Amino acid sequence: MKTLRQSIVMPLLFAALGWCQTALKAVPGQSLSVAQSKASVQELLHRPADWNNVPLKRVSLNRTPPLYDTDEPAVLEVPSVDVRSARAEGKLLVQLTWRDATQDAANLAKVPATPPESRFRKLPTEADDRFFDAAAIMFPAKLASDLVAPSLQMGDNDRPVEIYYWNAARGAMVMEAQGRGTTRRTGQAFAADADYQNGEWTVTMELPDLPTDTTIAFAIWNGSQKDRDGRKYFSVWQLLK
Amino acid sequence: MSKHQYAMVMDLNKCLGCQTCTIACKKLWTDRDGTGYMYWNNVETRPGLGYPRQWDRIGGGWKDGALQPSPLPTMDDYGHAWEYDYEQRLFEGKRKPVMPSPEPQSGCNWDEDVGGVNGDENYFFYLPRICNHCTYPACLEACPRKAIYKREEDGIVVIDQDRCQGYRYCIKACPYKKIYFNEVTGKSEKCIFCYPRLEKGEVNACAAQCPGRLRFVGLLDDPESPVHKLVLVHKIALPLFPEKGTQPNVFYVPPFNPPKRANYGKSILEDSRLPLEYLIYLFGPEVKDVITRLESELKKAQEGGRSEVLQLLIGRDAETRYRIRPQLVQIQLQGA
Repeated sequence: MKTLRQSIVMPLLFAALGWCQTALKAVPGQSLSVAQSKASVQELLHRPADWNNVPLKRVSLNRTPPLYDTDEPAVLEVPSVDVRSARAEGKLLVQLTWRDATQDAANLAKVPATPPESRFRKLPTEADDRFFDAAAIMFPAKLASDLVAPSLQMGDNDRPVEIYYWNAARGAMVMEAQGRGTTRRTGQAFAADADYQNGEWTVTMELPDLPTDTTIAFAIWNGSQKDRDGRKYFSVWQLLK
Repeated sequence: MSKHQYAMVMDLNKCLGCQTCTIACKKLWTDRDGTGYMYWNNVETRPGLGYPRQWDRIGGGWKDGALQPSPLPTMDDYGHAWEYDYEQRLFEGKRKPVMPSPEPQSGCNWDEDVGGVNGDENYFFYLPRICNHCTYPACLEACPRKAIYKREEDGIVVIDQDRCQGYRYCIKACPYKKIYFNEVTGKSEKCIFCYPRLEKGEVNACAAQCPGRLRFVGLLDDPESPVHKLVLVHKIALPLFPEKGTQPNVFYVPPFNPPKRANYGKSILEDSRLPLEYLIYLFGPEVKDVITRLESELKKAQEGGRSEVLQLLIGRDAETRYRIRPQLVQIQLQGA
């Protein structure tokens, strides 16, 4: 049996979110200026100083409403993410910086190439109840001719999205989706660099060379708050300029 | 609702606590990376902590049509794997005693044979546990990825490893805590009721290896199957914690224990060695009727009569204990 929140309030809220995302495209404040960098992709990925002259945009984050009745409450403790973006060598580099008092990361052991049945020792599950910090950038999988953005809830049937997802334990992976609950890993990886210092994450991701006027959105997960799935912080669509 | 439903009945009076089922399952399914702590089948001493410890008290399941909250069990609840420091003794010339490290604090079958005390007598019994392949699986409802599904053809509940993203809402929702997270793969895993064996007409590995011959397997809706007879005809097998609302398809013949030492000849319900309250806690109030039925069957046999129920429970051969119907399940599915 569904509760009132599940049956009426949530669909209304998501419908409202869906409407907002397309309407917001026209708002000038929701655009993101991309700098042209003289540095190489490798320098931008691994040398933080090369980002000093790139203008910063503080993007507000929203917290998804509680999705499940049995979920623990979450707070809006990551209110914004600072975004810098630059083009270099035919790639789009995006750097995300956000404050997070707890570093939820791990160096998970790499699975040996030999099959487990030929090894006496198998890798253990170190912990079953930890979740890791993560960040993602979402953009339309194909360029829209009608300038309508996909649904902010992981795209929709007509407008699939690509998601460049970075996780503090599992690394960078490309995902694709056509609506809520359809996200799947493509098996592809991408270049990313992450650093945690003084209660702040800085994650730089190498994206394809997305053209101007592409919509792009951001999401942040805080592992210590058991964030995973739609339990996260998210921005509305931004227009690349 | 699935077209058919495989079910298992375990006669707790015959369980030796030997863990052969546990090892059969482990060797077959959970001898991989990340699965060390997983026991899709485990046998725990009751009363006792269980595995993960206190699983029966931490939450999950259904109440009034809504999923109930539950924390995730931690590795402290499962117990951390330990190693023995043989190196120092055998190769480094130190002569310290070989000790486990880290110091064991908990684990699978941690409190084996501890049990409880009723008056002046110790009592315990063994409770083998697998996934209950519930008719209303809370895990399935909780998964936002729709990675868990109940097989239409035989009611077995499985996790699609391609769809699972390791969110672990299922582990929280399962009131029996029979789903485990594999941190190496980042996905959750559970008992699959040995469906690849059933599809070939072979019974589950845990049942096949059981020296006590306490497991009965078949389709609950097949009138000829032993599980149908034990659960629906003779009504002597009950699910565990029926109040959790998931309607399990694993059933137990409750321990038909003798009366206390000094009370030979008395009814079990008059002076039970196991406190009846504890059996009611595990199997619900219906356990009293089941014990009464079992007692009358026993009396019938003791007086020289023939008890069909006891003959079935003895389960002399595999044909009595198992009725696997791969053809029926497949034909019905093709016609669906």
